[in-house]
Amino acid sequence: MRNLLFGVLTALVLLPMGILGCFALGLTEIRSDLKPSRWESMIMGSAVRASVRRSAAGIANSATSNHETLVAGGKLYIAGCAGCHGELGKPFREEHDHFPPVPQLPHLGTQYSEPEVYWVVKHGIRMTGMSAYGPFYSEQQLWSLSAFVHQINNLPPDVRAAVVANK
Amino acid sequence: MKNFLAGLLLGVILLGFGMLVYLRLGLVDVRADAPVPHWVARLLYTGIHASVRRSVSEARSPGPAGDDTLIAGGKLYLNDCVGCHGEPGKPPSEFGRTFYPPAPQFPHQGTDYSVAEVFWIAKHGIRRTGMAAQASSYTDPQLWTVATFITRMRNLPPNVVKAIQQNPAN
Repeated sequence: MRNLLFGVLTALVLLPMGILGCFALGLTEIRSDLKPSRWESMIMGSAVRASVRRSAAGIANSATSNHETLVAGGKLYIAGCAGCHGELGKPFREEHDHFPPVPQLPHLGTQYSEPEVYWVVKHGIRMTGMSAYGPFYSEQQLWSLSAFVHQINNLPPDVRAAVVANK
Repeated sequence: MKNFLAGLLLGVILLGFGMLVYLRLGLVDVRADAPVPHWVARLLYTGIHASVRRSVSEARSPGPAGDDTLIAGGKLYLNDCVGCHGEPGKPPSEFGRTFYPPAPQFPHQGTDYSVAEVFWIAKHGIRRTGMAAQASSYTDPQLWTVATFITRMRNLPPNVVKAIQQNPAN
């Protein structure tokens, strides 16, 4: 029994040390122009989703979205997000310059709720290319942007037309 | 001995499983707008630098660069890098600060990387940072000029500074 516990303890110490050691010696691949493995995408993706859900759980949407706020959000999207997240109406192109790749929202949409999108845009996602936009947008702008992104692959035709026409 | 090995295996399984549960429960803080703890920053930068050093062959560097190269690189830098990495003669980029880890501010802190290393990073990007691979936007010779500019940014000949500022978007 004592040997068993000793073994467990050794593993708990050696494994993290080994992983940190490999990293510090430069043995990890760091190029961002390679596709992440399916395992990595699955594990990291679900960790981010779970953390965002937990963090955004208490946030209530204070703004009501209507035609005007959706169009306003769409304009913000075109000006500030489309460069990485994809233009409306352009053909789907898998993005592999960033690691993890940037989700192409106009095609994939998002599984996050409006308050969750609001939280992500405001605070960013650590260790991805998604920076925090809290310092650059007002609360109202963040909410209209979230409303737009939430519906981006399923927009009312008149909103879509207004956003695309008025660049 | 047999018990010890069984314990070792159990420890590995426990650690892996515990990690997955921790991740799945959403207990990791994913906000980008929090300061990077000092030890995390040190570990990250050491690991990244070690990996870059391992991957880069210095022999591919095109050799010493003249003013023309610096000017060409400076113009590219002003067009496409300043948004995150900061503009020479201006305060550090507010936007670059909102990434986790933050984008290094070359005009203020310079860089520890060699020209060949900066070239490699610009071409391939750095995983799990905001640094995207630029190979689909720029040719190798262009990336060499911008790498040369970045490594010399804090020590530029005055005529180069003037030439870049006169006609940045070209």
